[in-house]
Amino acid sequence: MDEQESFEYAKQTLKVEKITPYSNEDFKIVQSVQKCINCGICLSHCPVVGAVGINRFSGPRSIAVELSRSPPEFWTTSDTIYLCTGCGTCREVCPQNVNVPEIVNIVRARIMDHRPDLVPKGLHVVHEVISEHKLAFEPWDDIEEKRESRDMRLEHYDLPHIEDRIVDDADVLFYPGCQAEERAQEVREAAKLILDHFNVNYTLLNEMSCCGLPSKLLGDNSSFRELGSIITEKVKKSGIKILVTTCAGCTSNLNEVSEQEEWGIPVYHLLEFLENEIGLDKFKENLKPVDKRITTKIAVHDPCHLIRHTAREIHDIMLKILAILPDVEYVPTGVTDSCCGGGGMVSYHAKDVSDAVVEENLVGINNTDAERLVAPCPLCTAQLENSLYRSGSSIEVDDLTVFIAQRLKLKR
Amino acid sequence: MDLDTDVLIIGGGMAGLVAGIIANETGLKTVLIRKGQSATSYSSGAIDIIGYLPESSESFASPSRGLEAVMSLYPFHPYGLLGFTESKSDRNLDQAITKVKNTIDWIKKHFENTPASLVGDFSENLNPITVLGTTKPTCLIQETMCPPNLNDDDVLLFAGIRGHPDFNATTAANTFLDHQSRYGLPPNRVVSCDIDLTPFGKAYNISSIEIARHLDHAGSIEDLIVPLSDYVSRSEATAIALPPILGLRKSKTNRDLLEQAFGMSVFELLSLPPSIPGLRLQNSLEDIYKSTGGSLLVGHEAVSFSHDDMRIKSVTAKTPMREVTIKLESIVLATGKFIGGGLQSASVGLKESVFNLMTVNSIFQSAKELRPDRSTNIRALPEDGHDIFSIGLSVDPQFRPVKNDGHQFADNLFCAGSLLASYNYAAEKSGLGVALVTGLEAGKNAANAVRMVK
Repeated sequence: MDEQESFEYAKQTLKVEKITPYSNEDFKIVQSVQKCINCGICLSHCPVVGAVGINRFSGPRSIAVELSRSPPEFWTTSDTIYLCTGCGTCREVCPQNVNVPEIVNIVRARIMDHRPDLVPKGLHVVHEVISEHKLAFEPWDDIEEKRESRDMRLEHYDLPHIEDRIVDDADVLFYPGCQAEERAQEVREAAKLILDHFNVNYTLLNEMSCCGLPSKLLGDNSSFRELGSIITEKVKKSGIKILVTTCAGCTSNLNEVSEQEEWGIPVYHLLEFLENEIGLDKFKENLKPVDKRITTKIAVHDPCHLIRHTAREIHDIMLKILAILPDVEYVPTGVTDSCCGGGGMVSYHAKDVSDAVVEENLVGINNTDAERLVAPCPLCTAQLENSLYRSGSSIEVDDLTVFIAQRLKLKR
Repeated sequence: MDLDTDVLIIGGGMAGLVAGIIANETGLKTVLIRKGQSATSYSSGAIDIIGYLPESSESFASPSRGLEAVMSLYPFHPYGLLGFTESKSDRNLDQAITKVKNTIDWIKKHFENTPASLVGDFSENLNPITVLGTTKPTCLIQETMCPPNLNDDDVLLFAGIRGHPDFNATTAANTFLDHQSRYGLPPNRVVSCDIDLTPFGKAYNISSIEIARHLDHAGSIEDLIVPLSDYVSRSEATAIALPPILGLRKSKTNRDLLEQAFGMSVFELLSLPPSIPGLRLQNSLEDIYKSTGGSLLVGHEAVSFSHDDMRIKSVTAKTPMREVTIKLESIVLATGKFIGGGLQSASVGLKESVFNLMTVNSIFQSAKELRPDRSTNIRALPEDGHDIFSIGLSVDPQFRPVKNDGHQFADNLFCAGSLLASYNYAAEKSGLGVALVTGLEAGKNAANAVRMVK
């Protein structure tokens, strides 16, 4: 047997042994596990441990120390590994910054490869939708119905409709993400309105496809890579200079794809785009005149994928923008950075866990006299809106993009 | 993104936060960046000033005695540096001792009305009881962790929680009684019990944080009072020791409610890391830092810096996906040692992480070529400690790190906490004390440096 043959033979045995070799990116993450000093500070901060107890979810330390150590038996972790919401709190408090959220993805990918029967059913459903439509949600059967839904939402939020703009020589690509594309269409419309208002030469994709984050979270690495390369190809071909999105998950994930695939352009959340490219002074000049005596008390929620997976500064930008709005009074809740429970695909199969996690936010928000809650992410918005409604709260929830668009002097 | 500040602090533990607080109080603008949570946050929550002289098994009766001994024997101990004044070359021990004493008063005052309010003072070391049933010398402990003065006929009840692996009440009671009777100390009777308290309905695999969070909820202290009352009356207990689980925010209220319910002293034991009191200490420090006007940037790791002749001009920090450059007038480096990541060791040599400053061992020899494995002892807990814990930075009396030529690395760079060389916190029981005192000193010096420029 020559060297190549023995390599091929060894590769075959890996399959039999149920081992998926680590990629170069995986190795960096595995090396971060080696830095774990087993101190357990993560357990004191993990929102899932806090919400359901360590007996139900053994927590980040256990993921780093025990669950990541036995490649052939990764499947034995399936009762725990799918309960991580991927919020990144553990990585942020860890003195060694052990990359637990990514370890979770690595382990989930291996369970998907070798024991798909142990992947929660809810995740298989998403997996099938993505494979078929390249979107995280089933697209509308009837395009007319989708339009009607959009128009109803526009009417509800009192926003005008602008035609989709798809051009070849745009400077900015606006990427709405699956939630704003298929469900919370008002967010997509609001973002278009903002970009149009400031005369940004932007474009949408001619065909929207998922950024790949859900695939990564459910352990489907091949879809993750495929979806990433679809966007990469479009970005590189289009010659755009900036990618803007309104979704927190898309922001952090596309930043990662951009780095790995060397896009060479910044990927911003719309909030960062407003601060870095438009300028908050200019933003302020373009606000509708309002009666300053009537103010609304606003609480905020920080999406994990923005503050912990991208940068905490985005929270500060959000507060700067709220401070500029004349009819808004910011109310601190003490729980703005607490995970809403909507991450890590947990709500697709363990609703009780994600509901328990969001409870922390509900108590904090309901304890204030806030009248509205805003979040710069349509997914967090949906999760918090449903949870607040079910808790009997009268607090309304808005995506921040919509909230901003409503306050611009519109070119009607 | 760019930021401007007067004082930049790198590191968010005891030393960094205290430096930030004192700089805030002089009216300066401060920014504190931290990449992870500090070693302070999983300490026992007690602030040791000085407990032992290395190689001695007898603890110091008071911090002042300890300081005198340590400073006489080790002139370049971080505490010893407090005695140097710029004009004179001889040291003033009294000045150093006064500085430590004032710092203790300062921190106690700042912690009033926080969940971690402190008791204890400079005149004597306290000997609180730990979850192992042993005692340890320390200077300041949280109010809820203060054991009462026990008499011979007192009965101390160690109450554990079934399924909570962090505390074994029977072992702790036996160890404590063994120790007390060996030295003829009160009380003559110690009892133990395990009660049921199940935040999530199961009496196994319960973590301290679950219980603490549960007890922070209004009314939930009843879940502790009800099962405990039976044992209290049966055992004729006169004082109750609990593991440190009385809540992150409501520990004092909960302790008061328990004392009212049973009409006796109730206190928390000191635990191994990570502990709830450690978190209370960390949270309180962060609250004080923020309320005095400081800006806390969580999740930021310092990666590079710019400088001119003798001054650091800016530091660049990275978050998972972004970079921020912070322009500054002066800087406090409080990045910790091996846990915090301020020092990195390779198979040969120890390196300071941010500025690549000169590292030295306990006798101020360069640690650049030192093999870390040669600086450890085969015994896990030797009385003279592992030398590797004494490795760190050599600083001038203003706590400015120096280079191998004896000159300062920069005029506006100050250093505090466990990054300092030539003291062994593990053997001395002086970790948080040195962090506190040097943090305050470095913070003051950094603030002065800003004022000189302005």
